Amino acid sequence: MKKNKYIFVLLLLISITVVSSLGTFFYVKNNNKQNTEDDDNILIMTSCNPVYIATLNVVGSTEGYTVENLSQPTTGCLHDYTLTTEDMKKLSKADILVVNGGGMEGYLEDVMEAYPNLKIIDTYEYIEHSLGEASDLLIEEEEEDEEAHEEEHHEDESVSEEAHEESHEHHHEHGANSHIWMDERLFEMQVAAIANELMGENLNREETPISNNYLSYTNNLNAEIDKQGLEKTLSGSNVAVLHEAFSYTAQSLGANVAVSMDLDEERQVSAGEVSEFIQAIQDNDIKIVFAEYDYGNAMGKLIEEQTDAKVVYLETLVHGSYDASSYITIQNQNYKKIKEAL
Amino acid sequence: MFSEMFSYTFMIRATIAILLISPLFGTVGTMIVQKRMAYFSDALGHSALTGIAAGVIMGISNTTVSMIIFGICFALLLNYISRKGLSSSDTLISVFASCATALGLAILSRGGSFSNYSAILVGDILSITVKEIIQLVILFVVIMVFWCISINRLTAISIHATLAKSRSISVRVMEDAFAVLIALLVMLSIKWVGILLINALLILPAASSRNISENFREYTYFSIIFSVFSGVCGLFVSYFTDMATGPMIVIVASVIYFATYIYGKDR
Repeated sequence: MKKNKYIFVLLLLISITVVSSLGTFFYVKNNNKQNTEDDDNILIMTSCNPVYIATLNVVGSTEGYTVENLSQPTTGCLHDYTLTTEDMKKLSKADILVVNGGGMEGYLEDVMEAYPNLKIIDTYEYIEHSLGEASDLLIEEEEEDEEAHEEEHHEDESVSEEAHEESHEHHHEHGANSHIWMDERLFEMQVAAIANELMGENLNREETPISNNYLSYTNNLNAEIDKQGLEKTLSGSNVAVLHEAFSYTAQSLGANVAVSMDLDEERQVSAGEVSEFIQAIQDNDIKIVFAEYDYGNAMGKLIEEQTDAKVVYLETLVHGSYDASSYITIQNQNYKKIKEAL
Repeated sequence: MFSEMFSYTFMIRATIAILLISPLFGTVGTMIVQKRMAYFSDALGHSALTGIAAGVIMGISNTTVSMIIFGICFALLLNYISRKGLSSSDTLISVFASCATALGLAILSRGGSFSNYSAILVGDILSITVKEIIQLVILFVVIMVFWCISINRLTAISIHATLAKSRSISVRVMEDAFAVLIALLVMLSIKWVGILLINALLILPAASSRNISENFREYTYFSIIFSVFSGVCGLFVSYFTDMATGPMIVIVASVIYFATYIYGKDR
């Protein structure tokens, strides 16, 4: 009896090993077809869709480069995304990692620690340096938050404030709103950052395929992005946003973000916050609210019910897979939606 | 294939961590199942959130420290109130666990920043650092020493507390020491395993082993074997299929449980 039991355990463990090995083998065989790429190429990994699109356009068909994007979260925010084993494998082979920066990639410090030789192109940092700290283009989201909760903060004890501040430090470096790609001017600077850093590899700094690609793409951005005259219609008017990325959309159109509430899948808003938000919409005579459909839909319905404002659902370019032309297409779609709502 | 896998330092570290954590889960799990403390360890796992929240409030930068301190206090308090016998222990544990979890969530979600801590729900063994592995080695040694010294007394208490008392075993001290041990194990491994799955890893190997064991020695050995096997197999499968490690380990452990259940039922 006892002997049978040991044989059973042995057979059980062997069966699980065999089944999982076979399953894994076929899974890997079916999914790893593209892993036979040229190892001599410079492998550029990108952290999220906007910088992926920018890098694809900068590199274009230049020989000697391979551009790959880290796996993207299908839902939720990039801030709290954790790397998969596939990402870790790719990073260990990568030569350059292009990141959005500004606290967007929560895993960046771990990556820098694990791969000290990996060259990192931080587009946010590049813009911060080239614009200088006084630039108006980079938005400090925390100030708005603090204004919105000013009353609460005064009532709180100092310990709670510490907790609040610390949690925000994790979320955004320097309290920055890092969704900079939503403003075309900043996106162009991201493209410039990537092109400059990549051309740094070329010591002669002559006209190169990369510099040509950069010029051609920035020309395309200027020529093909159609704001539908919104920069005139919305200039100076008040808008509200339900996702901090759209503060940059508003900025790009010259609109003023009077009130904002950042919604994501884990955000539980309090009744007080909602009433303050609705009150602010009414007080500032806001006619339009920018939101992301997945997390702003329920709140959007409520706002439309309670106020005269219209809610427009825009894309943030973060989820899903995109190709080289996606930035222009998506931005144009976003502006078209805003135009239609007005 | 395996040489490629171990060319990555993150996989070497994750494998070492699994080889340290899983025997501990297998060993401690046997006593948790034996003493019917599954609900207790689950509540401890959930209270990790409150431990982090307490750390954030007190401005402790290393939240592991606050988690451990809170976990130990929580475990001892639960033991103390359960001994008073004012209410059934499952009700008490449920009340304490819900209260602690709600408190943690309320504090951490303040200002909409819970997403910063959501990674702890599923855990991430791939990002473990050398310093954290050293912590696990120390934990491994502490638990093994405690286990070797106290296993007979703990077994006696789990079989019959009054009988154990008559043999001059201090039941209260042993129970408290064991609760502290579970708190240490749960809090130090929760970052790698995740709140949602930690109890499954504690319970499944021991429960599988219980299905087929005839004595305590067999019970412990099988539990450790199942735990280590699930851990290593789950890690390797997750590496090649690019799926999360914790859930994969639990799937393997669950398959073992069902197989042993069917085998044990027919005996």
